[in-house]
Amino acid sequence: MPNKSASTVLNPAEDQVKVEIEELKKDNSQSTTKLEKYKIIYNKKAESEFFVDNSALAGFTGERILYMAIRELIENSLDSCESFSILPSIKISLKIFDQANDLWMLACEDNGTGINSDKLPIAVCSFLTSAKYMEKQQRGLFGVGLKMVAAFSTKDTDFPIKVWNKSIDEQDEYYFELRTDIGTNKPIVLSKKLLPKQHSRIQDTSGFRIEVILRAKLLPITKNKIYEYVSETSIVNPYSSITFETDDGIFQFNRRTSIMPSPAQEILPHPSDMDLKTLKKAISKFQTQKMSLPKILSSSFQKLSYEKAKDIVTNTGLSLKTPTGDFSEHDLIKIVNICKKTKFQNPNTDHLSPIGREVLTIGMMSEYTIVSNKGNDNTEVTVTAQAQAPSQAQAQATAEKPILNNANPNPQVADDNVTASTIESEQSEESTPTPMPTPTPLKNSLSKSNFSVKVLKPVLTTYTSRTCVINNRPTVVETGLAYGGDIPSFKLYRFANKIPLLYDEGSDVAREVISEVEINKMGITKKQAKEQFSVNKESKKDRAIEVLPLHIFFHICSTKIPYKTAGKESIASEGELKYYMKSSLSELYRKLSTQIRKELKLKEAENKIRLYKHYLPFIVDSINESLGSKNSKLNESFTKLIENHLSKKPQIDIDIGNASSADSPLPVQTSQEMDLADVDLESDIQEAQLIKETKDIQKTKDIQKTKDIQKTKDIQKTKTTAFSKPNLNKLERKKKANKKVDPSLAGKLSKVDPTKNVTKNKKPKGTIKKLIIKGKGTTNKKNKSLAMKTSVNRAKTNKSFNKPQNQNQSKTKEVQSTIDSYSKRVNKGKKK
Amino acid sequence: MSTAKKQEFVTIIKRIMRKISDDVIKQNQMPILDLPKIGYDNTIWSDEKRMLTTGDKKIEVSPDSVKKIPTFAQYLVMANAVKKLLDEDMESTIRGMYYATLSNVGDDKNKQKFWTGQEDSDNAIKAVELLTGIPREEFSVTSKPKGMISGPIKLRVGGDIIDCNLGSRATSQLIPTNMGDVQIDDVKADFVMVVEKDTVLNNIRKSGFIQKYNAILLTGSGEPDRATRMMVKILNEQWKKPVVVFADADPWGLGIALRYKIGSESLSYDSERLVTPDAQVLGMMFSDIYQYNIPEVARLTASDEDINRAHDMKKKPWMQNKQWQKELNLFLNKKEKCELDAFFKHGFKYLSETYLPQKLRMVGLI
Repeated sequence: MPNKSASTVLNPAEDQVKVEIEELKKDNSQSTTKLEKYKIIYNKKAESEFFVDNSALAGFTGERILYMAIRELIENSLDSCESFSILPSIKISLKIFDQANDLWMLACEDNGTGINSDKLPIAVCSFLTSAKYMEKQQRGLFGVGLKMVAAFSTKDTDFPIKVWNKSIDEQDEYYFELRTDIGTNKPIVLSKKLLPKQHSRIQDTSGFRIEVILRAKLLPITKNKIYEYVSETSIVNPYSSITFETDDGIFQFNRRTSIMPSPAQEILPHPSDMDLKTLKKAISKFQTQKMSLPKILSSSFQKLSYEKAKDIVTNTGLSLKTPTGDFSEHDLIKIVNICKKTKFQNPNTDHLSPIGREVLTIGMMSEYTIVSNKGNDNTEVTVTAQAQAPSQAQAQATAEKPILNNANPNPQVADDNVTASTIESEQSEESTPTPMPTPTPLKNSLSKSNFSVKVLKPVLTTYTSRTCVINNRPTVVETGLAYGGDIPSFKLYRFANKIPLLYDEGSDVAREVISEVEINKMGITKKQAKEQFSVNKESKKDRAIEVLPLHIFFHICSTKIPYKTAGKESIASEGELKYYMKSSLSELYRKLSTQIRKELKLKEAENKIRLYKHYLPFIVDSINESLGSKNSKLNESFTKLIENHLSKKPQIDIDIGNASSADSPLPVQTSQEMDLADVDLESDIQEAQLIKETKDIQKTKDIQKTKDIQKTKDIQKTKTTAFSKPNLNKLERKKKANKKVDPSLAGKLSKVDPTKNVTKNKKPKGTIKKLIIKGKGTTNKKNKSLAMKTSVNRAKTNKSFNKPQNQNQSKTKEVQSTIDSYSKRVNKGKKK
Repeated sequence: MSTAKKQEFVTIIKRIMRKISDDVIKQNQMPILDLPKIGYDNTIWSDEKRMLTTGDKKIEVSPDSVKKIPTFAQYLVMANAVKKLLDEDMESTIRGMYYATLSNVGDDKNKQKFWTGQEDSDNAIKAVELLTGIPREEFSVTSKPKGMISGPIKLRVGGDIIDCNLGSRATSQLIPTNMGDVQIDDVKADFVMVVEKDTVLNNIRKSGFIQKYNAILLTGSGEPDRATRMMVKILNEQWKKPVVVFADADPWGLGIALRYKIGSESLSYDSERLVTPDAQVLGMMFSDIYQYNIPEVARLTASDEDINRAHDMKKKPWMQNKQWQKELNLFLNKKEKCELDAFFKHGFKYLSETYLPQKLRMVGLI
């Protein structure tokens, strides 16, 4: 600073001082050169100038200007609506204004409270002027954002900032043209007009519209961030309707619910957070009224009763009778010290406005996202860049290349492009996704554009929230998961006080939390996840969680979010925050486990089923080789035959499958029971039923078969199955009943009642005797008695075979299971 | 192996393949492979034949479901592989067939092995046997030789002569697995004694038992392979030599002994070739543990598996004579088992010079 020439540094307001200094200099210029050399000049700087010079403090850096500007305007609009529980309707527009000079026209209109027209110029232009300086959760806090936008517009262009305003406490709509006097932090009102009704711009009862011209370059990466920001805002604020107009078209984010989280209430500070400043402020507030110190304390801080305040003051050794104005700072600090040591009730959370289960779930159930067609989009932008400035185009083109090649260092962007392309392909398949409130993209403008709004519907969402104290402030951690369905890949969403955080994901505590919570909380292993959920096996991602079609949402609300940097883009792992986030995430993973395991099984089955085609060449080759001739028709006919067969089958199969699974919640068990039932019948009436039996076996086979196919079907259409359940169930039961009361078998059945079988089982001795007696008859009878016995035994043997049957239900596999048991015995023999 | 048998096999395989091809191309219908069902629920005790036989249940293997297509493919691939083996006039073990037909199924994304293990391919070989009605030895697929034989007997395999009576006590001969090619000569023994394990066989041979009692000693080294069982059957039925079997005094050992006498569920379709119903299971009885004072330290405690198996056995029709029931009851009471080797506790020669002669005398063989 001292090196700078004084005239450029100093404000006009301080001209007087400057002149004096210069005069002084002149006087002593010759005699006191040494003094002059070491002279340090102290200047005061206006807030506006400070913030413009240090725009990075507010996040306004280089390529982020447009992103930050949009962010600030949207946040102000949402805050303005929510404080009065108005369902927000926001229209934003970002369009190129003067391509040659990189000028952009940014407009934002809302139906919020508006600003009192007297206060409006200050509220728009003067830094550190805000209606939000209070202890409650709001998006904006500092009174910097909007002013920053205004100051940048003033700084870089000669256009006025246009504002249309209809305040909630006024009837009329005013039109303003403003500029900021950066040197003094004061607004310059170029024009203020009362708008007659016919010229009114704002339709709602109140509202605010701002139009600014900004000079900025819009790199594709920033554009992606802007789109992402608006999309994510619509996800956490599903009660808002957002229209976003750009040169790519108009994107409409519909309002999906009219439920709004209850607005945050202003609260008193908590005594454990007391310091000298808050205490003095509290005292000065009640200066005019004659109140005792305990009284002031109890009415200025929450969770502090008069009695407790009195105790605290007494403990400090101060006299209660001293007038409050007479306490010195030395006295007051004692109170602060005691308060720091005293235990108070936990602070209340009325000043927080978490999103809540209901609202966040609605947001997660229909994620609105702007998706891009990656290839075309980028080339287009490159073209515009080249048109602008040939000299810069070169540099810009190289800067854009990484994005084109999808090898951008920022993983977020790379991810997005993948997402977009997958969604594109999905969209072509199902022409119209049928969301509850249909998105109304303006087809005409969008059809040509590379961007469109897509609604993602997951199959499952879960939510949990934890309240904790971080930074001495109550903090609510909300966590949500959206899984499967339209969700194509993994993504982490971070929000702080309902503001999406897009940058610096790598250093955010959420990232740590995700990598520290094991995926096996979901009941699946890393290996399974990678094998079954990887989209393509070559690009195996390091973290198993990232192959899942899963969106993780973290929302942290607090009046003091532990941001890592001044840019407010990532959250530090402060206090127990990480612990609470981890426990939330673990809880949600567990809730996901049923679903994900179901899908895992389906995927495994599906993969197996898909393999059948690869077996056909084996069959065809074997036949051709054996016959020593190559019949080219064989392959074709075989493929056709099997495909026809498999496509016909499922219709009937599903029904049977359903019927059996309707009997018991565990389909596998059912099939076993049925097996056993069949076996009993078979063996009891073996000879008479030989022909029937083969049918039975086929039937059981069929049922098993159907299950496989049903699985495939399930994958294709999860919903279609439910219809025919009850009827077919009955049918199936009838079939069973018929079988049992078949008159031709009635005689035999009565002889060998299955219930007797059970008792026989209990008294093996008796059975044996009976059987021996029977064995003396004809060979036929002997055989039968044997069969009966084997059936008795089978009940036992069956148990040992249950497991293998479970796994490979196919009857043919039974041969194998027998062989297995034999090989066991052989092994046993070998051991000896 | 006779070329006629080979020819027959090739003809049958071609017929099956032709049928499938015709079904598919001409009739446009699902081809079906009919096989008798093999397993516990299609195994029947035949009182007449005194052996386990296969019931009438059939299974149909047809590529009509996603689950069954692999099985169908496996059977055809194996049938074709065996045909190739015969075309090349080669022999192979079952393991060799497994390796010859190994491959992967599927693309890069979904891959699995054509066989999940050798059991799969063994199964397919069995299916080929069942489809053609020809035992695998006759289509040159054999297993590793396991059985051992020692005693006054000569085997002719091709032009070679295997003299199992080398006059010494030194060694035993492996029983060739291709029994179809084996001719038996010069059986001079009075009886055939089968023991469960080769260790016991070696002990008995070394003691000079063969020379002393003019016996043929045989073992299947645990679960007997088909060749060993066939050898026993041929000696018993063609050469009219009485057969006695000794196995460990536990349900598994008893099971192995019975394998010679009644057959097994997994090979019930081949019982007629393998089972020797006249074989006598002489030991080791559960009662022998106590009768011959096997010291407690040499007895083993029965496992739950043993107990279950014994309960199971008690109900089998072939175990319904008084003596066996008594033995099994004794086992179930005492819950103790014992190996033949336990006799070594009484001295290395006790088994061959005391126990076995006593047992054999009981049935009048010596």
